[in-house]
Amino acid sequence: MAASVREKQTVALKRMLNFNAPPLKNTAAEPVWKVLIYDRFGQDIISPLLSVKELRDMGITLHLLLHSDRDPIPDVPAVYFVMPTEENIDRICQDLRNQLYELYYLNFISAISRSKLEDIASAALAANAVTQVTKVYDQYLNFITLEDDMFTLCHQNKELISYHAINRADIQDTEMEAIMDTVVDSLFCFFVTLGAVPIIRCPRGNAAEMVAGKLDKKLRENLRDARNSLFTGDNMAAGQFSFQRPLFVLVDRNVDMATPLHHTWTYQALIHDVLDFQLNRVVMEEGAGADPSPAGARPKKKNRKTYDLTAADKFWQKHKGSPFPEVAESVQQELDSYRAQEDEVKHLKSIMGLEGEDDGAISMLSDNTAKLTSAVSSLPELLEKKRLIDLHTNVATAVLDHIKSRKLDVYFEYEEKLMSKSTLDKSLLDIISDPDAGTPEDKMRLFLIYYITAQQAPSESDLEQYKTALLDAGCDLSPLNYIKQWKAFTKMAATPANYGNSGVKPMGLFSRVMNTGSQFVMEGVKNLVLKQHNLPVTRILDNLMEMKSNPETDDYRYFDPKMLRGSESSIPRNKNPFQEAIVFVVGGGNYIEYQNLVDYAKFKQGKKVVYGCSELSNAAQFTKQLSQLGQK
Amino acid sequence: MTSSVGDVSVCLQRSLRCSCTDMAVDITLLFKASVKTVKTRNKAIGIGFDSTKDEIFKRSRPKSGFSPKAKEVITNITKLKDFLLQHRKDYVSAGSLISSDLTRMTDNERDQIDQDAQIFMRTCSEAIKQLRNEAVKQVTSAQIKEHRGAVLDLIEMYLRGVCKLYSEQRAIRVKRMVDKKRLSRLTPEHHSRVAKTLEVEPTEEKTVKEESSEKSVSEVPNNPVNLWEEGRVEDELSPEEIQMFEQENQRLVSEMNSLVDEVRQIEGKVVEISRLQEIFAEKVLQQETEIDSIHQLVVGATENVKEGNEDIREAIKNNAGFRVWILFFLVMCSFSLLFLDWYDS
Repeated sequence: MAASVREKQTVALKRMLNFNAPPLKNTAAEPVWKVLIYDRFGQDIISPLLSVKELRDMGITLHLLLHSDRDPIPDVPAVYFVMPTEENIDRICQDLRNQLYELYYLNFISAISRSKLEDIASAALAANAVTQVTKVYDQYLNFITLEDDMFTLCHQNKELISYHAINRADIQDTEMEAIMDTVVDSLFCFFVTLGAVPIIRCPRGNAAEMVAGKLDKKLRENLRDARNSLFTGDNMAAGQFSFQRPLFVLVDRNVDMATPLHHTWTYQALIHDVLDFQLNRVVMEEGAGADPSPAGARPKKKNRKTYDLTAADKFWQKHKGSPFPEVAESVQQELDSYRAQEDEVKHLKSIMGLEGEDDGAISMLSDNTAKLTSAVSSLPELLEKKRLIDLHTNVATAVLDHIKSRKLDVYFEYEEKLMSKSTLDKSLLDIISDPDAGTPEDKMRLFLIYYITAQQAPSESDLEQYKTALLDAGCDLSPLNYIKQWKAFTKMAATPANYGNSGVKPMGLFSRVMNTGSQFVMEGVKNLVLKQHNLPVTRILDNLMEMKSNPETDDYRYFDPKMLRGSESSIPRNKNPFQEAIVFVVGGGNYIEYQNLVDYAKFKQGKKVVYGCSELSNAAQFTKQLSQLGQK
Repeated sequence: MTSSVGDVSVCLQRSLRCSCTDMAVDITLLFKASVKTVKTRNKAIGIGFDSTKDEIFKRSRPKSGFSPKAKEVITNITKLKDFLLQHRKDYVSAGSLISSDLTRMTDNERDQIDQDAQIFMRTCSEAIKQLRNEAVKQVTSAQIKEHRGAVLDLIEMYLRGVCKLYSEQRAIRVKRMVDKKRLSRLTPEHHSRVAKTLEVEPTEEKTVKEESSEKSVSEVPNNPVNLWEEGRVEDELSPEEIQMFEQENQRLVSEMNSLVDEVRQIEGKVVEISRLQEIFAEKVLQQETEIDSIHQLVVGATENVKEGNEDIREAIKNNAGFRVWILFFLVMCSFSLLFLDWYDS
């Protein structure tokens, strides 16, 4: 994959916005203006990739939601980017009847069916607008790319394909089919955009196997259809830089239930866990803290701030996987270097002031004009840097507040020890009964992880003790019922997941932090250093990519859509280790696994790993789903 | 019926061949095929849409004047851009000392181009401003207003890009002129500087030559002096006088050199400063609009405060008046009581 998925998707979007013609390189080209209409799915796809300014540069004057009130704007072409659902088609037909725009370029996010196309055709005929519908395209972009190597399937209606929806006890076959179809459709679009046909491996006997089977069938049908194949032509030329086909590993969420509940310590995962972080956008409340407002005055309004964490933000790209104390230090360093540059510019101003009064100092100006030019041209960069530093300072401060109030570092350390089965220095009961260590949710998460990773189930009396302690702390016990069921099921199925050895060393940091004079006073917060360890998903990937033999993964199914006959075997035909892999978790993923995979890819040079999941849920949302499942 | 079905199948076949360069599938032809099928289906069912009549009396949408005018401005700017690009090579080729090209422009032509381009750019920006005012005055929906504002922004950016082309060209031209002037003065400078620094034989010869040339130059004014002053002959110029003249010449030359150096430096710096000034002017203009809006707000605020004060004053007056009335009423009541009491007793 010479270009990452995000670049490919961005290029596809830009081409679509340029009326489906490749964009010209000429910067001084005539502006052509257009209006962009999208639905919520389209909005979710476009917003992590293109900013409003980039849309404006491409000539988009207005961008509107499909189902909002739109006024007729004559003489303007409109580009539609919507899903081919019933309501959207109806609304498009209504637009055609109301003659809102001059020309219509319809782009459907996934393939549209013939009957719906005929609906639009009849509406266009009725409105006499057939000539206005200039182009109709199937874009095959039904997935959201969040990072260069991370994608998720949907954000809008994610309850429909969440872990809860798939593992409900009362699910019907038709509903399951519908869910599988949506997942397979999005995965198919992903591979079309990538331009490569993968080799699929999946475990047996769960939702992942169903998805793999359907995807294999769909890819095979498309490849057989020689006239209509989406994988021929120049697409393959792009993909042929790597002569191997990528490996596509499908896993089910059930293989590793502890990771979504885990408390984290890396920057991006912390933001996702603790703040409201969706589609690369953080929404925080700012302003009035815990100060009580004076009597008689109106309560201070908290203003909500949104921050976009994008690919252009170098600090973010460098530090999104670093442990939190490192991030705090780096922000401080950036702030210092920015202040030094600012001082330089101010110093220059004073020089200029002095020279202005001096006559005959023309010769002295030679240096200073050059300095002035360089200072002025670097001013926009400096301003941008300042904005980013402010952003990260605010975000990191908010995260730090949460850590301090909920004692997340204690939880993190304890959970790491649980997951690596090393000795525990504090008993679980102590932490649960500790009133100021975290919210009830945190305690529930900790207990669930303990329950999941325990080799044998705790005895009845112990369990009762824990349950009373949890109820005292105010937790809801329904997730526990579900986890008990799950544990019983997996015990029957296979060996329980091993979380590998992870060591967590607290560093003596109090003195070090105070020495750096950091703005982030992290006294009382332990500075924990993560040792490299592999989560279950990473280990599965490692085994499959390196063709290692392992009792866990030997039983995995093997699908190759390019082979003439589908086979039931699990013997891989290809004996070489793979260079590229795509890991997809059915039933929900999180940033912890993503970070682990990124670390693994960095560790093994030359391998590229892309992480995907059907939906991104943080621990709170996942716990809610578990409690819904446990209440049935 | 069969022919239309045949058409449809042909259309279908053609439509299924996707464009291989992009990953998206162009189903426009499929759409047109489905339009045809719907038409035939409707004809078969008997629903006529009277499409022919409608096509003749096509409902003319309100053709607002905005769009054609905006397009006109864009075509003008494109014309300017093409014009600049066309003549760019000739314009910029000022540096070639080899005057072999027949297409070399004279400076007059270049000045003419500069002037024309500036006038044109000014008219274009005026036209944009006019369009903006018109758009604001017209009563239209919010979306159309936003759309028009964004369209005008795009046109302005385009104009700015073209202006940058022009100013780049101009900067190159100025630089080349400066370089050319420097080059053309190089020969006498070179000699004098060499005379100052090096003390090698050939340079001495050059200086001797220079002296001789200078002597001949100084001879010319001397000759009328000779004519004036009788009895003064050429070879009577004593060596001291020769030396004096030499020194004076050298001093004059060095003075001229330093002046030229300074002037050259200043020219270069002025070009840089003009570029900076452009940036500053842009920023100041941006701030101007903001300051205008702040001014409006402040004026509105002072008016509100004034009105508030008036209202308060009135309220105080009313309050006072109210109190007077109450007092009066009470006094009247007490008097009436006293009167009644006196009357009864």
